[in-house]
Amino acid sequence: MRDLIARFVFGFTMLIAPLTLAQEPSAEPDLAAAEVYKDAAEERAAKFVGVSGPEAESVPGGALMLGDYAIVWVLLFLFLMRMRGLQRHTAEELERLSAEIRASGGS
Amino acid sequence: MSGARQSGSSTVWSLILFATLALFAVTLYTIFVVAPVEQKMGIVQKIFYFHVPSAYAMYIGFAVSAVGSAVYLLRRDPKWDALAVAGAEVGMLFCLIVLLTGPLWARKAWGVWWTWDPRLTTTLLAGMIFAAYLSLRSMGNAGEVEKRFAAGLALFGLVDLPLIHYSVQRWRGVHPTVITGKGGGLESEMYWALGLSFIAFTGLAVLLIWARASAERQREETARLRFELMHR
Repeated sequence: MRDLIARFVFGFTMLIAPLTLAQEPSAEPDLAAAEVYKDAAEERAAKFVGVSGPEAESVPGGALMLGDYAIVWVLLFLFLMRMRGLQRHTAEELERLSAEIRASGGS
Repeated sequence: MSGARQSGSSTVWSLILFATLALFAVTLYTIFVVAPVEQKMGIVQKIFYFHVPSAYAMYIGFAVSAVGSAVYLLRRDPKWDALAVAGAEVGMLFCLIVLLTGPLWARKAWGVWWTWDPRLTTTLLAGMIFAAYLSLRSMGNAGEVEKRFAAGLALFGLVDLPLIHYSVQRWRGVHPTVITGKGGGLESEMYWALGLSFIAFTGLAVLLIWARASAERQREETARLRFELMHR
């Protein structure tokens, strides 16, 4: 009985194995063809995907550094200009006040 | 007596100005000639020598504003209010420098201009608090209520300063930590460049706060004179 079962299993395996192996290569070309077709269809789709990450483009470090130092000096200059404007405005206001005091007869 | 004090003050001012200018010249030489180019980031790393001291000067400005505000709330002396305004403006200037120079480095190092890293976010928050302070103070001639409310806002902004500083250590983030205990440190020439830059920026912050506070006191005095003249 055991011998019969062993022969049955062996025979079944020998029958199934070639069928299984035969199906595998036939499945691959079909899948690949479908992928190619799908990719082509996706490429034609109305969608643009931008590159991202540091490797995607070359970032000019020198230009960024120069821009950085320029920002510092420009902002400092603008601050000094603002202070100058404030002092000028205060001086004008003082002159107006002096003129008003003189006109009103004050000392 | 007052004239002599003004003359002495002017001399100190001039000394700090010349020392700061000389220090900036030496600092720039050290940054671009003595300090080596960083191995991985390249020349863009040299942004670091102005970016970090700017953040430090921002701390000085905002801290001065908060201290001036606190003393003003206690004593109601306009001199301290002028100091608070000056500190907030100078702090805001350096905050802008930090927030604009950081992204230029980040674009090269991280591949993005901005990320919601804890240190970046808390710095932006401080900038927004003091922008609110300055907006409140710029609405014409601020009255006593506006001044007191703004002083409270400056004290609220002070709470954010330790958060900025310790955010790198407390929370996960991508911001470098080279000058803290966790970092790998700097080469000796890099330390020199950074140290000199720190001193130069401290001098610059002191000069700007001093000049701005003086201008603010004069403006307040002029406004007071006009008010007295109108009600005479």
